Amino acid sequence: MKWIPLALTVLILGAAAHTAAQQPPQAQSQQELYLRIPTDVPSKNPLEGDPDAIKAGMGAYRVRCADCHGMDARGIRGPDITQVWGRGRTDDALFSTIRNGVPNTEMPAHPAPRTSDMDIWRILAYLKTIATPITDTPRGNGVAGTRVFETNCMACHRVNGRGGRLGPDLSRIGVARTRAHMTRQIRGEVPDFRTGYEPVMLTTPGGQQIQGVKKNEDLFSVQIMDTRERIQGYLREDLKGVANAKISAMPTFGRDKLSDADLDDLLAYLAALQGVEPQPANENR
Amino acid sequence: MSRTIVRLAVVAVAAGALAASLAAQGAPPPLVNNQELLEGLRPDGSKWLTFGGDYSNHRHSPLTQITPQNVSRLVPQWIFQNDTLGRFETTPLLRDNVLYVTGPLNKAWAIDARTGREIWRYVRELPPTGSLTACCGLVNKGFGVLGDKLFMTTLDAHLLALDIKTGGVVWDATLEDFRKGYASTIAPLVVKDKVIVGVAGGEFGIRGFIDAYEVNTGKRAWRFYTIPGPGEPGNETWAGDSWQRGGASVWVTGAYDPELNLVYYGIGNPGPDYHSESRKGDNLYSDSVVALDADTGKLRWHYQFTPHDLHDWDATEVSILADLTIGGQPRNVLMTANRNGFYYTLDRATGKVIVAKPFVVTTWAKEIGPDGRPVMLPGHVPDEQGSTTCPDVTGGTNFWPTTYDPSQRLFFVNAREVCATYYAWKQEYVPGERYTGGAGQRAKGPDFRAYGALRAIDPTTGERKWEFEYISPSTSGLLSTASGLIFSGDAEGNVLALDSHSGKLLWRFPMGSALHGTSATTFMLDGRQHVLVPAGTNLIAFALGDVPRVPATR
Repeated sequence: MKWIPLALTVLILGAAAHTAAQQPPQAQSQQELYLRIPTDVPSKNPLEGDPDAIKAGMGAYRVRCADCHGMDARGIRGPDITQVWGRGRTDDALFSTIRNGVPNTEMPAHPAPRTSDMDIWRILAYLKTIATPITDTPRGNGVAGTRVFETNCMACHRVNGRGGRLGPDLSRIGVARTRAHMTRQIRGEVPDFRTGYEPVMLTTPGGQQIQGVKKNEDLFSVQIMDTRERIQGYLREDLKGVANAKISAMPTFGRDKLSDADLDDLLAYLAALQGVEPQPANENR
Repeated sequence: MSRTIVRLAVVAVAAGALAASLAAQGAPPPLVNNQELLEGLRPDGSKWLTFGGDYSNHRHSPLTQITPQNVSRLVPQWIFQNDTLGRFETTPLLRDNVLYVTGPLNKAWAIDARTGREIWRYVRELPPTGSLTACCGLVNKGFGVLGDKLFMTTLDAHLLALDIKTGGVVWDATLEDFRKGYASTIAPLVVKDKVIVGVAGGEFGIRGFIDAYEVNTGKRAWRFYTIPGPGEPGNETWAGDSWQRGGASVWVTGAYDPELNLVYYGIGNPGPDYHSESRKGDNLYSDSVVALDADTGKLRWHYQFTPHDLHDWDATEVSILADLTIGGQPRNVLMTANRNGFYYTLDRATGKVIVAKPFVVTTWAKEIGPDGRPVMLPGHVPDEQGSTTCPDVTGGTNFWPTTYDPSQRLFFVNAREVCATYYAWKQEYVPGERYTGGAGQRAKGPDFRAYGALRAIDPTTGERKWEFEYISPSTSGLLSTASGLIFSGDAEGNVLALDSHSGKLLWRFPMGSALHGTSATTFMLDGRQHVLVPAGTNLIAFALGDVPRVPATR
């Protein structure tokens, strides 16, 4: 019985023609007017030194950047950005980093219209006022630091595909953190509760305890990586308890565990970790 | 004759017969009439025709097939995907077993409610998305409907009438020039022969307004500027020329009282949001509810929740109308939980405050005084160093719909307990660019636990009857039913059903994305009650798995 759909098609086509006839004539295309012309990014910050822009930039920086880069811009989860000019980056390159983000990192893009060009220049105008020259003097022996890393850190941290996965991958930590920040982190002076690495203890009805880091949770379930790197989800109703630890999963390395000299070596090793581009899986693609 | 020729002949005859039969019957009656809009949600569950289900915005369904006892047996029936990367914030309409749904980027659909299959699709040709100024997502909150027309606002600040049978454009009215920061996402409200809408752009230095258009022609019938012009009462509440770009946007559908013939709209924040030096004064009618004559748009009364707002606390929360007995007196009221952290019951004939009480932690005002103005506490003026205030920018609640259950006389709201550090800085106005003069950042540290809760409030006192706590703040709207259920969502992507008498959790289903900014709706189809949940890019229909279908005979 194919005629029913066919008949309907005839009717629908008729109706469509009817509707089209009812439509008002299309307004002339204003597409070219709609385009907010993307202006060329100037190579120099047009707002540098402008007191109003610096004030506004400070506020904007604190609201939108300080969570990761710190109120003093010396880095928390994101890198220290007080030395970006010192390291040779230019205004327009920094503008582009803020506008487009950094792929495969936590640095997001800041597209228009939520962030205007001038918003970005204001933030950079402010950052320029707290920029500092490079002061870190190279210390320590990176080769010796490799051994310190393998002994103390590698069980939980991974570098270039080797090491544990319970803690964050450190393959580009040298870009992301200053030496001073890493020192505080290792010495246990910074509580770090980075999302995805918060320590958690699950207790089964039989009393067995499962220790791990929390990857996700909702009202009904929790997803973890346990200390044997097993990733697994659990329903809360199947557990006796879910306890969030109050301290970081990262152990504190005081001077009793790690001498100042060993720390210098370790930092020399970590500072050299600049990340590697992933190799294409198939060169012939 | 070959079979093909026979078929073609049959087709021609059948088509001719159908056309003749249509012609003999005359044009079919329009699908939706004004009487149906006045009736709201009916016990047969066959319709959902306006944003809040009815003109009072109760979002409370009379349906009782799904109960606290059997809700745990709900199972998905179908899933519709919107084919974009944007999320649904819409309230789908239902008439004659077909759903009418708006989506991101001004896409819209007619969908078979039995199967989730698309019947027609409308796609608007929009300017490049980078030039659109909707602050908070390229979303849409739903259709309005009358006769054979659906009405939809657009991100480039137009109002469209679409043919309900085909999705074809019947008329296209320009609200304002989107390049000056205007956009529109609001679900239109149809009252008599007019379709009423408002504009977004409170973060872009617009001058807000509410417009009414003739349903048949798209001709503008009236405009109410939410910021009075020179010579009009209230203009003096804006210093200098700040009224020209003071924001006061309108992006949540109003309520309508047919007896008083008034529409009630909540108005958005004044701009720039945080740096207020340039706009000294109360800044009327920002952060107010206005009662307008539905025929003329003339202002009958206003009430301002947050005079001279410094925290971006739009009053664009849903207003619910009901008739209550308070202190032994019958009162016709308007109920709303405001972003500033206070719950209000107002007299909807006069705008006088009957009840005003915090429903979350509020640190900026001690109380609402007898004159209806908040009694301010010191130390809550944002500056370059930052000042910390509860609630945060998003507020004690926001635009996600609330519900009212008349049988229990309870008001339900998804509340947020979050504080923020607010910063302000001076900013020059550039047409079409963001104009906020600051920003807020969620307060952190051991003193600031951020969470959300579904709260049941007695509107005669503002007292909390019960609450259900979420692990993080929910941005889901609510649906309540006469069988004693509330449907909500959490930020982690679960749809939840709770007992509306106790707040006890009865059912949940993980949807993979949160129910955000809108609520579930419910309707009857072939003898089975359905619950329809927008979640992220999906629309999911649930029904009881063990209730047999009784297909309609027609």
